[in-house]
Amino acid sequence: MLAVRDGDLDCMGELFERHHGPLFGYVSKLTGDRTAAEDITQIVFQRMLKYRHTYRDQGSFTAWMYHLARRCTCDHFRKASPAPVAVDPSELESHADESRGADESAASKDDHALLHRALSRLDSGDREVLLLSRLQELSFAEIAGILECSVGAARVRAHRALRSLRDQYHRLQKEPLT
Amino acid sequence: MNCQTCTDHMPELADAKLDEKTAALVRAHLGGCPACSGEFESLRRTLEALDALPAAAPSHRLRARVMGDIEAEKLTLRRQAGWASSIRAAADSRRGRRFALLPLLVPSLGACALVALGFMLGERTATQRQLADLRSRVDTMGQLFEQSVLQKRATGERLETVLTAGEARRPDERVINGLINSMAFDTSVNVRLNALNALYSHADQEVVRAGVLACLPRETSPLVQVAMIDFLVAAREHAAAPELRRLVGDSQADIDVRESARRAIELL
Repeated sequence: MLAVRDGDLDCMGELFERHHGPLFGYVSKLTGDRTAAEDITQIVFQRMLKYRHTYRDQGSFTAWMYHLARRCTCDHFRKASPAPVAVDPSELESHADESRGADESAASKDDHALLHRALSRLDSGDREVLLLSRLQELSFAEIAGILECSVGAARVRAHRALRSLRDQYHRLQKEPLT
Repeated sequence: MNCQTCTDHMPELADAKLDEKTAALVRAHLGGCPACSGEFESLRRTLEALDALPAAAPSHRLRARVMGDIEAEKLTLRRQAGWASSIRAAADSRRGRRFALLPLLVPSLGACALVALGFMLGERTATQRQLADLRSRVDTMGQLFEQSVLQKRATGERLETVLTAGEARRPDERVINGLINSMAFDTSVNVRLNALNALYSHADQEVVRAGVLACLPRETSPLVQVAMIDFLVAAREHAAAPELRRLVGDSQADIDVRESARRAIELL
């Protein structure tokens, strides 16, 4: 990122290749909306370009990136229209779930679906801190910086969010199928 | 260790982030406390399930869109750094070779004449029928552009095609004409700008300069208009002078476009 800040924009492509997967995965789980996650991920990289001059070699690049992602996600939900968005039918194919094959067990799919639902039932702040805490690249000190709170508070919030998720997950497992 | 302290340490124990001494104390408590042991096991399974949740993969459009943003930013940087002057020097150095290549350019010139004819005949809101007609007359568009540019593919895909075409070391006539076509007709400013950017490497070709000149009166975006004017100056396209004079006197034109046209006339 330092090279990008100093004008070498070719390095931006390398940063994208290295980080867009985990970033997209994080935003995708956070929003539960694949299309929105792509838009937000693009905006994060746009802001990196736009605000590259403000990047300082203090702390990790990853923490800075997730800090931008947090703001972009907030902006997205603030601006989000309640009106349904038209989708080009020709693009639906690429939206299909390509992550799992038909031979995967249905039980596993059900578990994943339940966990997604449990995540979506969490308070957005709990979901955010929990997902950040599962990113290997981030320490609690960095998460605390992103969330603008103390390290202790970040840790306590993550633990509380994990318990909430566990409770929601168990509750959903016990619910009868509709 | 009591149950409360043990509970506080459970997530770190599940993540193996506790120091050895504390981890041993927590494990000892778990061994003798069925309630805490059950709590720990359920948290551990939840974390495992969360970590095993498959990460969604973005579509290829995301890459094209971000790379398009990066290229657009590079273009802005280059323009700020006086990119036009370096291109002019490159065009000058190639000028001497232009006539030796004339026989090779004749087919391209013919294609360009048809493209230009299409521009003259077509209105800004060119219909698909006109596009199809122009395409059939030019008859030089490669499959690349046939597939992605003229068939209403997503902007990201069209941009990707233009960027790929721009990277070709020795693009053939079809690719050059496809880039000119994108610059003329694409609905996205980003795609038009990148098509123009890709054409800079071929500013020594008569067909390219004529194509840019033919597109300038049709262009509606001031950003692209200024980029086209820079291109024509860089390529020392003296034939652009009448169009530049028209722009200077056009009160409807964007003020930056008029100023760019005025400076271009001075430079030419």
